[in-house]
Parts: sequence; structure tokens; C-alpha cells
Amino acid sequence: MEAPPVTMMPYLLQRSVLDHSLESLIHRLRGPCDNVEPETFLDHEMVFLLKGQQASPFVLRAPCSMDRAGSPWHVRSLGQSEMRNKNCHALVQNCVDIATSENFTDFLMEMGFHMDYEFVAKGHLFRNGIMEIVVYKIYCILVPGNTDNTEAQSFSYLEELSVVAPPGLDMVSDAMRNFAEQLKPLVQLQKLDPKRLL
Amino acid sequence: MGVSQMPVAEGKSVQQTVEILTRKLEMLGAEKQGTFSVDCETYHTAASTLGSQGQAGKLMYVMHNSEYPLSCFALFENGPCLIADTNFDVLMVKLKGFFQSAKASKIETRGTRYQYCDFLVKVGTVTMGPSARGISVEVEYCPCVVASDCWSLLLEFLQSFLGSHTPGAPAVFGNRHDAVYGPADTMVQYMELFNKIRKQQQVPVAGIR
Repeated sequence: MEAPPVTMMPYLLQRSVLDHSLESLIHRLRGPCDNVEPETFLDHEMVFLLKGQQASPFVLRAPCSMDRAGSPWHVRSLGQSEMRNKNCHALVQNCVDIATSENFTDFLMEMGFHMDYEFVAKGHLFRNGIMEIVVYKIYCILVPGNTDNTEAQSFSYLEELSVVAPPGLDMVSDAMRNFAEQLKPLVQLQKLDPKRLL
Repeated sequence: MGVSQMPVAEGKSVQQTVEILTRKLEMLGAEKQGTFSVDCETYHTAASTLGSQGQAGKLMYVMHNSEYPLSCFALFENGPCLIADTNFDVLMVKLKGFFQSAKASKIETRGTRYQYCDFLVKVGTVTMGPSARGISVEVEYCPCVVASDCWSLLLEFLQSFLGSHTPGAPAVFGNRHDAVYGPADTMVQYMELFNKIRKQQQVPVAGIR
């Protein structure tokens, strides 16, 4: 059976704000976003690696909701990010999202993956049409597997503005940039090259 | 609920045996309800990944069932069975450096679905490439989800058209007598059936004297 083609990709703008600016940011986001209460979320994300003779290991991310019982589990593979297109104001990444049954961690171990690290993400989700704006804090898990014992990794919240759309649509990144303009100078969302962060 | 192999009748070909079986079902009063297919692709861990894991290569089976068109099943023999959406096939393409498809490993069964009252019967021809290798018979008793509660009824129904070829209880039931039966149990049975057929010699062409 042939694999179905991947036609949608996430466009991404990211930045962070210090803890003391969170309330102002949430208040500012309520304006342009959809007129509903923002959702809160609490996710436990595990990152798995499969090493081979290839230069870089294969990475799979597996976020699962801790506060919504019965939410589907899914596994995400992030591919190459497209940085060369200067007309595109957002980072475009090849992404494959797979919904799975609950035993995927056992299955990944059987495939040869091992867990590299895990963390808890807690924050708010806003929507503006097809745009999603996520503001969240990352918590380190102090004892592996124990999500009740966590510690904030930093004194800031990460903000991500994302849209899932077919690749090559510059108007999507233009719309994202126009939205991001509304949040200045509180936060300056940018196209960040993940390779430069390593 | 139960998947088994029907031996090819002596002196007949696979296709002729399938026709005999389907005629028996139609005489019982079963109605044709479209077609079905189950396929299985085998992957083995690439040598480049083995060294880093320090373990013997494993075979992973990636299967699809037309009864669940948006799903993909991935399983290891005597291991977990993962149910995922069809993007799992895209993931396997990305993982081709780590998992390689075994040569000429694709095996599938295709055939007709029959409905007889509360029973669903699927009789399929198992093929590897161009050659027919055997016959699969799957029977499901739709109102019941606990296999042990209806196995006797299933057995009686199977005897009415399989006769002496009626199989025993599938190994997948094992100690899980009161467990809820699910699609993963069906796929494990198909995987075991396909492996059994792969090991058998090719069915000789009958009718040529």
C-alpha cells in the first residue's frame, strides 16, 4: 500500500516572554483572538531517539494530555525546516503527526527507540481562525516518569504562533507576520532557525 | 473473531476450493456484501541500527485491513500491536534507513464478505506476488465482543460449512478468556496465518495431468 502524501505543514513563529509579562500578554491576546475563553492545557511530552549509523538519530516526539482523560495519543516526527525562502516570514517544517493507541511507548521501545528526555508543558491555547497561539512554560521532571515532581526550567513562557497549511503559501506567513505585529513591543515573534540554537 | 486457514481440497486449485467454500456459504443463505482485503508488509531492523542496540534484529509487520480503512496496524511477533492512523506508512518511509522492507515480503488476502444473520464470513485467497498460496477464512459473530462467550456458537457455525476443517480456539485468546475482543486480536491472527503460509511450500497447480 502506498504511503499517503503529506500536503500540510506547520508554519511557525516563536519567542518567549518573562513571567511577569504573562498576564499582559494574555490580556493582549484576548483582543485579536476568537471570542472564547482560552483553553488551558497540561501536556507530558516524551522525546524518543533511534540511533543508527546515520549522522543524526531519528527523533520522535510524543505529547500526551495529562488533564483530558480519553484524549488521543499521538506521535510527531519533525523533519527539515525550510529557512531559505526569504519571502516566507515563518519557519516551515516538515511534520508527520500520527494518532496511535495507548501502547505506543512500549512499541517504540520494541522498535529500538529509547527515551531521550521528557518534560511537562503547561499553558494556554488561543485561536484566531486557523492560527493557533500557544503560551506555555516548560517544567523539568525531576524523577523520571513522575510528572507530579517538576520544576520550572526558566523564568519565562514560550510563545508559538502556528498555522497548518500547504507549503509555499507566502500569504499565510504574511498573515502571521501581521498578527505578530499586534503583539509588539510586548513580544517580538520571529522565525527562529533551530540549527542556530544548537 | 476467528481467522484460520482452509486447506486446499485434494485435486483442486486454490481458486476451485474457494469457489466450493463460497458455494456452500451461499447455499446456507449467506449474502454477498462486498469485498475485503488484508495485507502485510515485513520490515527488519537495518544492520546499521543493530550494532547500537546490541540485540538481534526483529521482524516488524505493518498491516492494513479494509474493515478499518483509516488505520494501520504494526506488530511484533509475541510483542505489542500498535494501532495507528495511515500516517504510520509515511513514518515507515522516513525510517527506511533504520527499517528495511524484507524482499518480496508482501503477502495479502483478498476475497468476498458474506453476511449470514449475525455472522460475518470472509473467504480470501492468500497471495504472495502473483502466486496464490492458500485460503483464509475469517468468521465474526457481530453482537458479541467477548470471544469466550460465543466461541462455542462460532464453532458450531464453522462446522456447518468447514466440516472437518474447523479450527481450534485461536492462540490469541490464550488466558484472556473474558477480555474484550478487538481489531488487534484479528490482525495478530492474520499475521500468524501469513507466517504459517509463508513457511509452507507453494501450492502445486492442480488439474494438470
